[in-house]
Amino acid sequence: MIFSKKKIIIAYTIEKCSKCGMLKKREFIDGDCLFSELSKCNSCDGTSIIEKIFGEELES
Amino acid sequence: MELTNIDFDQLFGMSDDSNPLMMLIWILPIILFVFYGQRIQLYVTSGEIKKALKKLDGYKVDSRSELIIYLKKNLKLDDDPTEKIDKFLEYFTIMPVDMDPNGIVDKVRHTVRMREDYTREHIKLLSSQINDLELTKVQTLLEIASSLQMIYKIVNHMFLTAKKQNNYPLILPLQMLLPFIMEQAEAMSKSIPAFKTGQPIGDGIGPMVVGKIMLDCEKETIAFQTILAKTDFDGRKLFFIKAEGPGSTVGRPAEALETIVSNSEIDAIIMVDAALKMEGEESASIACGFGAAIGGIGTERFQIEEIATQKNIPIFSIVVKQSVKEAITLMTKQIAEKSNDVTSQIYEMIKENTKQGQSIVIIGVGNTSGVPQ
Repeated sequence: MIFSKKKIIIAYTIEKCSKCGMLKKREFIDGDCLFSELSKCNSCDGTSIIEKIFGEELES
Repeated sequence: MELTNIDFDQLFGMSDDSNPLMMLIWILPIILFVFYGQRIQLYVTSGEIKKALKKLDGYKVDSRSELIIYLKKNLKLDDDPTEKIDKFLEYFTIMPVDMDPNGIVDKVRHTVRMREDYTREHIKLLSSQINDLELTKVQTLLEIASSLQMIYKIVNHMFLTAKKQNNYPLILPLQMLLPFIMEQAEAMSKSIPAFKTGQPIGDGIGPMVVGKIMLDCEKETIAFQTILAKTDFDGRKLFFIKAEGPGSTVGRPAEALETIVSNSEIDAIIMVDAALKMEGEESASIACGFGAAIGGIGTERFQIEEIATQKNIPIFSIVVKQSVKEAITLMTKQIAEKSNDVTSQIYEMIKENTKQGQSIVIIGVGNTSGVPQ
């Protein structure tokens, strides 16, 4: 269709600190896996785990 | 020449029924449509189907090349896989005869498992160092490429047959089914990146909810590619089952249930799955109901229903509604955000429908790609 916009899906990863519960949203990178432990939380000494991985549609 | 005073009534004979020009204008199209109407419709419909076929061909070619690129990039191959992959894509499955339906489920299960086992063994032959995670990914990508090839072949066959016979009615069923076929094919084609990168798909909401609960529990393998975790909740014993993640598999929940039921007395079964939404229904809405919520060709559902009926165990279901595309492509934000609501719904259902001291099996049904436990 002439006027339809092209939709792009961007994958995001949500990290959640198991201690303070702080959420961080970033773009998905290869190797990200749900519930896997990541580096230390930025605001406390707790460890972040990947809480969610999902796609969001962007119109271009 | 004066162009301003043309009498259109006179030109087209609107005031005179005997004008031959007017008669031709009316009668010619009628004759044309009476004798060649179907052929004209055939040409118009052919154009639409040709466009769809071009798209299907693109999906078929892309899925094949994506699979070959993935194999070359991610596996240490013993030799060039192209020839073997092309051979795999041509494999077909002949379903058992159903004239006598007695025992058909066992026959279907045997045929399908035989195909799966064969594919698995031959993928292992491509690379001797392939691990289980990569194996399930390649198996899924192969299934997608093979299905897209089959869809293209069938649509092309129906189209060419109708064209060859110049038979318009023959092309009608294809024209009616085409939007649904294209929706499925497009969804399959768009699911490839999610499976390649090990991202969770919409269908994985059941395993995602159960997998999260399982995280702190002790786990054991109960059936092929199927994991069990036991825990206690409010005086009840809970058995959680899901396919073994993060590989792309649905496991064998029916076999797992059979093993549990043979060793323990079960009072209720709760199944958590993704379900296809109806048009007009909101995506990612949660619904509860009765009966076994499990898709596939029906063998797993049959076995679960058989066990539940024999042992008189009630089956409850929680489903998260989604479209075909949402179910097999990267999980949407709306679906992912419903995971905590589904977890609360499971515990609410347990409290409402069971008593303390009872045992409940909770099955997270669906493809567990990108969802560990």
